Amino acid sequence: MSRHFKLILRRPTWVALFLLLANNAYSADPANPLPADPKGLAFFEAKIRPILTEHCLSCHSTEAAAQNRLSGGLFLDSREGWAKGGDSGQAIVPGKPDASLLLKSVLYDGDINMPPKGKLPAAAIRDISQWIRMGAPDPRTGTAPIKKQTGLSVEAGKSFWSYRPIVRPKVPTVQNLAWAHNDIDRFILKRLEAKGMAPAPDADKQTLIRRVYFDLTGLPPSPEAIQDFVRDTDPKAYEKLVDRLMGSHAFAERWARHWLDISRYADSVTLRGLIYTESWRYRDYVINSIQNNIPINQIIREQIAGDLLPAQNDEVRTRNLIATTYLTLGNSNLEEQDKQQLRMDVVDEMLDVIGKGLLGQTLTCARCHDHKFDPIPTSDYYALAGILRNAKALEEDNVSKWVEVPLPMKPDLAKAIALHDAEMARLQQKIQLLKGPTNTRDNQGTGIIPPSSLPGIVVDDAMAKKVGMWQHSTFSGSYIGSGYIHDQNSEKGKKTLTFAPDLPANGLYEVRLAYSPGSSRSKSVSVTIFAAGGEKTLAIDMTKPGPIDGRFVSLGEHRFEKTGQSFVILSNEGTTGHVTADAVQFLPLDGSTTARETAPSAKPSPKSDTPSPGDFANKQQTIKELEKELRKLKSAAPKRPMAMSVVEEKKIEDARIHIRGLVSNPGPVVPRGVLQVVNAGPLTPFPKDQSGRLQLADWIVASGNPLTPRVMSNRIWTWLMGQGIVRTVDNFGTTGEAPTHPELLDFLASEFLDQGWSLKPLVRQIVLSRTYQLSSSVSESLTRLDPENRLWGRAQRKRLDAEEIRDAMFFIAGNLDRQSGGFLFPETLAADYGFTTESTRRSIYLPAFRNALPEIFEVFDFADTSMVTGKRTESTVAPQALFMLNSPFPAKQSTLAAKRDIGDWPKNTITERIQKAYINTLGRNATLSEMQIAERFLNKAETSPISSSEKHHQGLEALYHALFASADFRMLN
Amino acid sequence: MLNPLSRFTPLSRRDWLSQTGCGFGSLALAAMATRDSRAFEGNSLSEANTTFGTPTTNPLAAKVPHHTPKAKRVIFLFMQGGVSQVDSFDYKPRLNVDDGKSLSFDDARVIAKTGMRGSSQRVMKPLWKFAQHGQSGRWASDLFPEMNRFVDDMCFAHAMHTEGVAHGPATLFLHCGSTNFIRPSMGSWILYGLGTPNENLPGFVTIGPSSGNGGPRNYGTAFLPATFQGTPIGKAGGNPSDFLIKNLDSKLSEKARSDRFGLLRELHAERLRETPGDGEIEAIANSYELAWRMQGKAPDVLDLSGETAKTKVRYGIGEKATDTFGRQCLMARRLCEQGVRFLQVTYGDNSANPAWDQHSDLPKHGDHAKAVDRPIAGLLADLKERGLLEDTIVWWGGEFGRTPYAQNNGTGRDHNPGGFTVWLAGGGFKPGFAHGATDEHGARAIEGKVHMHDLHATILHQLGLDHERLTYRYAGRDFRLTDIHGRVVRELVG
Repeated sequence: MSRHFKLILRRPTWVALFLLLANNAYSADPANPLPADPKGLAFFEAKIRPILTEHCLSCHSTEAAAQNRLSGGLFLDSREGWAKGGDSGQAIVPGKPDASLLLKSVLYDGDINMPPKGKLPAAAIRDISQWIRMGAPDPRTGTAPIKKQTGLSVEAGKSFWSYRPIVRPKVPTVQNLAWAHNDIDRFILKRLEAKGMAPAPDADKQTLIRRVYFDLTGLPPSPEAIQDFVRDTDPKAYEKLVDRLMGSHAFAERWARHWLDISRYADSVTLRGLIYTESWRYRDYVINSIQNNIPINQIIREQIAGDLLPAQNDEVRTRNLIATTYLTLGNSNLEEQDKQQLRMDVVDEMLDVIGKGLLGQTLTCARCHDHKFDPIPTSDYYALAGILRNAKALEEDNVSKWVEVPLPMKPDLAKAIALHDAEMARLQQKIQLLKGPTNTRDNQGTGIIPPSSLPGIVVDDAMAKKVGMWQHSTFSGSYIGSGYIHDQNSEKGKKTLTFAPDLPANGLYEVRLAYSPGSSRSKSVSVTIFAAGGEKTLAIDMTKPGPIDGRFVSLGEHRFEKTGQSFVILSNEGTTGHVTADAVQFLPLDGSTTARETAPSAKPSPKSDTPSPGDFANKQQTIKELEKELRKLKSAAPKRPMAMSVVEEKKIEDARIHIRGLVSNPGPVVPRGVLQVVNAGPLTPFPKDQSGRLQLADWIVASGNPLTPRVMSNRIWTWLMGQGIVRTVDNFGTTGEAPTHPELLDFLASEFLDQGWSLKPLVRQIVLSRTYQLSSSVSESLTRLDPENRLWGRAQRKRLDAEEIRDAMFFIAGNLDRQSGGFLFPETLAADYGFTTESTRRSIYLPAFRNALPEIFEVFDFADTSMVTGKRTESTVAPQALFMLNSPFPAKQSTLAAKRDIGDWPKNTITERIQKAYINTLGRNATLSEMQIAERFLNKAETSPISSSEKHHQGLEALYHALFASADFRMLN
Repeated sequence: MLNPLSRFTPLSRRDWLSQTGCGFGSLALAAMATRDSRAFEGNSLSEANTTFGTPTTNPLAAKVPHHTPKAKRVIFLFMQGGVSQVDSFDYKPRLNVDDGKSLSFDDARVIAKTGMRGSSQRVMKPLWKFAQHGQSGRWASDLFPEMNRFVDDMCFAHAMHTEGVAHGPATLFLHCGSTNFIRPSMGSWILYGLGTPNENLPGFVTIGPSSGNGGPRNYGTAFLPATFQGTPIGKAGGNPSDFLIKNLDSKLSEKARSDRFGLLRELHAERLRETPGDGEIEAIANSYELAWRMQGKAPDVLDLSGETAKTKVRYGIGEKATDTFGRQCLMARRLCEQGVRFLQVTYGDNSANPAWDQHSDLPKHGDHAKAVDRPIAGLLADLKERGLLEDTIVWWGGEFGRTPYAQNNGTGRDHNPGGFTVWLAGGGFKPGFAHGATDEHGARAIEGKVHMHDLHATILHQLGLDHERLTYRYAGRDFRLTDIHGRVVRELVG
C-alpha cells in the first residue's frame, strides 16, 4: 500500500481520462478484432512481441498470475488482456496512442512508470506508439483469466461462526452438581468432564484476594484487607469483597484503561510530537462512564456519533461531544502533502479502530482489494468509508490539524468570557483612537531607524540573501538601517530575498515585514514564512503603508525552532510594479516578553518631522501602557473549554471505490452502508443531510448484530481470565482463532445483552464463578491433558502490566496520589519530546505521549498507542531486569516502603518485619526457606558498622528491592 | 577503564546450574537448541503467541538464515534531513550550464499539493567542485574529501527513489517501509529474522537517535514482539558522555548492588526449588542473569578510553567539529565487533527540519559534512583494517535527496524523494561501482531505479534473508518489511 499509493496517478486530468475510458465504446472489441493486416502483424512480430516478452510479461501474463506475480491485474499476453485492461482500466485504445495508458506509462509521463526498472529505449517507445496508431494488430488470442476471489463470499460468510446470530444456549447439565457456583462453571465443567478431567482446587484466600484486587482495581490489597478477608468466615465474604471493589473509583480507573487500549488512546501525535491538549477529557469520560455503569452500547453510540445525538441539557451535550474524541485519536501523518490521500488515510484509521476494536474485523484489508480471507468486498469498505468520509476530522494545512469544537459553557464562564471580550474590545478601540487612522500620509512611518533600536531580532535588507539584482535606495528618506532595496521592477520571477534570523531560542514569534510603500509599488507581493509548523504564503500590498507604525506589516505569529527552518522568502514573481523590502523583524512572544513591550514603539531618530516631540512621546507612552494592559488581559483570558471531535462535512455524499486503494483512481460510487455479511435486521436509511454515523453506530450496537456483543463479552472475559474464549481478541474473521467454548461465548453475549450492555454485571458474574477462583498452580495431569489451558481447568497465571507494577510500588511505598482526572503537562507544552513527570498519580493519568512514554511503560509492554490492543504482549527481556535493578524508581520506592515500617520498629522481631514485607509486596507469607534466606541477609547487614536500626533499615530496603524485582511480584497467580 | 562491576563475575550458566540444582538447565538447553532453528517464516510466530522468553523459545538466539549470507551485520549511517546528491556524489555538469535558468520540473511537493506537474524552478549549480577519484574514477565533489578516498570501496545507487515529501513520512518509510502505517523497523525485522550471536548485548542498537520525525517508531517493533526493539544509546544532540544504554548504571553503591542482586538470585533459586520446571519464573530469573552480564560487559564496550590515540585521531575524536559523531562511529565499530546485528548511527537532531535540511542556506551543508566526513572515513578504514568490512554492510544515506533547483527561488534546496544517491560498502556490495542514473539535472531517477523497498530487500538478501519470506502474522495477515513490493537489486551485489 505504499509505492503504488504515492507514485501513481495524481493528475486530475487522469481522472477525466479514466472516466472517458470507462464510458466510451471502442473498436477494440476483443470478439471482433480488426481484420488481420499482414503488414501490421509482421510489425507486431518484429518489433512489439520482443519488447513485451523482455520487459512486460514477467509481471503481466497468465504465467505471472500462476506464480502469484501478476501486477495491477493487467495481462499483456493476449489481445483480450490489454483490451480489458487492469485495475486502472483499458491499457490500449487501438488507433489512439494518446489515449492509451500503456504508452503513457512507458513514456514515464504520468504516475505509472513502466517498466519499473527504467525507461525503455526511445526507439522501443516509438515502435509502441506507431503500433497503437496502426490499430494495435495483435494475433494473440486467449481469454484473460478473471481474477479469482480468494476470500469467502458474502453468502458463504453468513454461516461462519462469528457472523451467525447469537442464540442463547441451553445451560448444560453436569455430573458434579455441587461444583458449579454459577452457569459459567457448568459450561466449563461440562467440557472438562467430557475429557475426564477434574478442575484444579480453589485458590487459597491470600492468592484470591491479590488476584481479584489487581483484576478489579489494578492495585494490591493492603495487609489489613488481606487479614480481614482471610479471617472473614462469612460465606458471602468474597461476594462482599467483590461488590466493594466494583463500587470503588479504582475499578473505574482500572477498567477505563482497558477501554483506552482498544481505543489507541494517546495525548500526542508522533510526527512533530504535537500535543492533544484536550484528549484527557476523553480519558476522564471513559472513567466516569464506567464509574456510572453507562451501558457499552451507549458509549459506542456517543463515541461514533455523539455530536449528532440529541442532548436534553448542556451536561449531556458536553459528554456526547467529548466521546467523539474517540474518532480523532489516530496517529495520522498530518504532514501528508496530498490532502485527499490524507483524508482517506484518516478514514481508514477510523475504520481500523472501529473494525478491530468493536467488531473484531480487519476491515482495512479491503481498502485495495476484496478481503483476501473474510467475506468483506471492497465495496463494503467504501460503503463504510463513505460514512466516515462525511465527518471532517482535520483542518487542512501544510501540517493539518485535528478538529476541536467548543463545549457548552457554564453560565458564569460564559459571562466571564463575554465580559472579557468586551474589555478587550474597549481597550483595542482606545488604542486605535490614540493611534489614529493608519493609512493616512500623516501617520506614515518616517525617519531613519537603526536596526539595533528595534526590539526582537531584526534582519535588515542588507543582511538578506539575494537572488538577482536588487537596487539599494534611500530615496524615500524613511527606512531601517542604511536604506531599503527594490527589484527595479524587472526580471519578474527571477529575484528573491531570504531573511534568515539567528534566533536565540525556540518559541513563538510575531514576524513583521518593513517595506518602502508607494503608488509605484506592487499591489501583491508574495512573501513566504518557513516555520516549524510548515510554510505560509501571504500577499502584501506595497502600495499602502504598513499598518504598524506606517512601516511594518505583520506576517502573523509562527513557532520557530532554533535548529529548524526559520526564514522568510520574498519573491518578485507575478508582480507588477516595484517590489521593495526594508527589514524583517522577529518578535518573541513567549519567554522574553520584555522584547515585546517595546515592540510597536520604535522611535525614529531626531531627523523625523513628527508634530511635537513631547506630544508624540506622551501619546506613545499611553499607547504603550494600554497595549501592555491589553496583552495582560489577553493572557488572562478565561479559557473556553474545547473537545477534540469531528464535524459534519458541508457536502454529504457517498464515496467512490478507490481502485487499488488509490485516491487518484476513482471507480464507481458505492452507496453508504454496512457489512453485507452481517444481518443485523432492518437498517435505517442513510440521511441525505447527515454523514450516517448515527446509523452506523446503531448498526454496530443493533441487538441483531452478533459481532459487537461477542467481541465485547470475549474482551471482558479476557481482561479477567488472561486469555480469550476467542484468543485472537481483535480478529473474529476467518484468520482468527475459533472460540474454545462457542456456547459459553454466546451465553456470555446473551447475558450481556439481557443486562442492557452493562459492563459491571458481566464482570461480577465472571468473577463470582468458581472457574475464576481456581488455583493457577499446575497439576501434572492438567498440564499433560491440556497444556495450553484451553479448557479452563485451572486459573491462568497472569502478569502485572506496566501500570499495575508502577501503581503497586507507589501504593506499597505509601505515596500513591489518588487524585483523579485532569491533565499533568504544562498548558503551553508545544511538543512531547523528552517529556518526563515526577507525578505519583495513578498511571492512567500520566500523559500517553507517543514520543515520550514513561520508561516503565516502554519496558513493561504498555499498549501501543497507535493500534487497537485487545491483549497486551507479555515479554521477558533483560531491559526489564535492568530497570528493576538499576533504575532509581524501584530503589526509591523500596526505601520509602522500608521507612514506612520503621514506626513498628522496636516492637517487631526480624521475622515479623520480613513477613510484613512479603505480605506488602507479594500478598503472602514468606515460606520457611525464604524466611531463612531473608533472615540471614538482614543479620549479615547487622554486622556492618552502623547503628542497628539504620542497618536493619538498609537491609529491609534491600529486601523490598529484591521483592519488587522478584518474579513473584510480577506474577498474578 | 574497566567497569568496576565486572569484578563481580556473574555466575556462569554452569555455576548457576550447579548452585541452584533445580533443573534450571532446561532454559539454557532450550535456548541452545533454538540456535539451530531457522529464520522465522510464514506464521511460525504470530501475535497469537503473546508470551515470549518462555523456556521453549529464546527468540533472540541466533538463527540460520534463508540462504547463505554475504554479510552478518549492518551499520547504517543515517544522514538525517537529506543530503543534496547534486552537491556530493551525483555529478551533473548540466547544472553549471543551466545555473540560474528557470526550467520546468516535476516537483514532488508541488505535485502532492496541487497535482500539477511541470512547475517552473530556478536551477542552482552545485556549490562544491567535482573531480574524479580513486581507481574507479568516480566523480565526487569536495564536500566529503575524506570519504572520497574510499570511493573504490563504495557501491553507489544513484537512482534511489522513495515515499514521502516531508521528513516525518519519509523518515518512517526509510526505517519501517511505510509512511503512515505502524510497522516494525528494519532493525527489528533483521533481529527477528536472524537473532543475535551475542546474548550479553542487545542485537539492535541505535546510537544518538532523533526524537523527531517518528522518533521511537523508527526503532520500534510495532506488532513484532518487544524483544526485537532497538536499544537507544544516547539521543541526537546529546552529550557524548551520556551515550550509554539505559539502566546499566545505578545510583546504588557497588556493594548494595551486588548484595541486592545476590539476595534476588537466592530467592529466585529457592522459588524454583519449590516449583521446579516453572518456565515463566525461570525466564524472569534468567533475564536477571542476562542483565547482570550485560551491565558487566556493555559499559566496557561503550568505553572508548582503551582505544589508541591513533584510532581516536582517525575518527576525529578530540576535535570540536567531529568529536561527537566520531565517538558515535567508534562505538559502532566496537559494538559491531561484539556481534550486534543492526547498528544505526544518526547524524541529526530533534527538530522538524533536521541537520541536512538546508532549505534556505545550502552552504551550511559544509558544516555538516565537516562533522561526519572524518569519522566516516575513519570507520571505513578501521573496519577494513580489522577485516570487518567484508561481512559488514555500511550504508550511508538520508530519507531523501534534495532538488537541483532553488526552493522558492531562494538560496536553498527542497526535499527530493524522486531521485537521490546512497552508497553501500562491504557486505558483498560491489566495490567501486555505481548503478543507476538520474536525469541530466539530477532531479528524478530514470535508469536503474532503486526504490527504498528494493534497497531494503537487497540488504536483507545480503544478510541471508528473503524479504518475501521474512513475514510475521498479525491481524490475520502476513506482514513484510517490503509490504507487497521490493526486488533484490542484483546489479548492486553481483
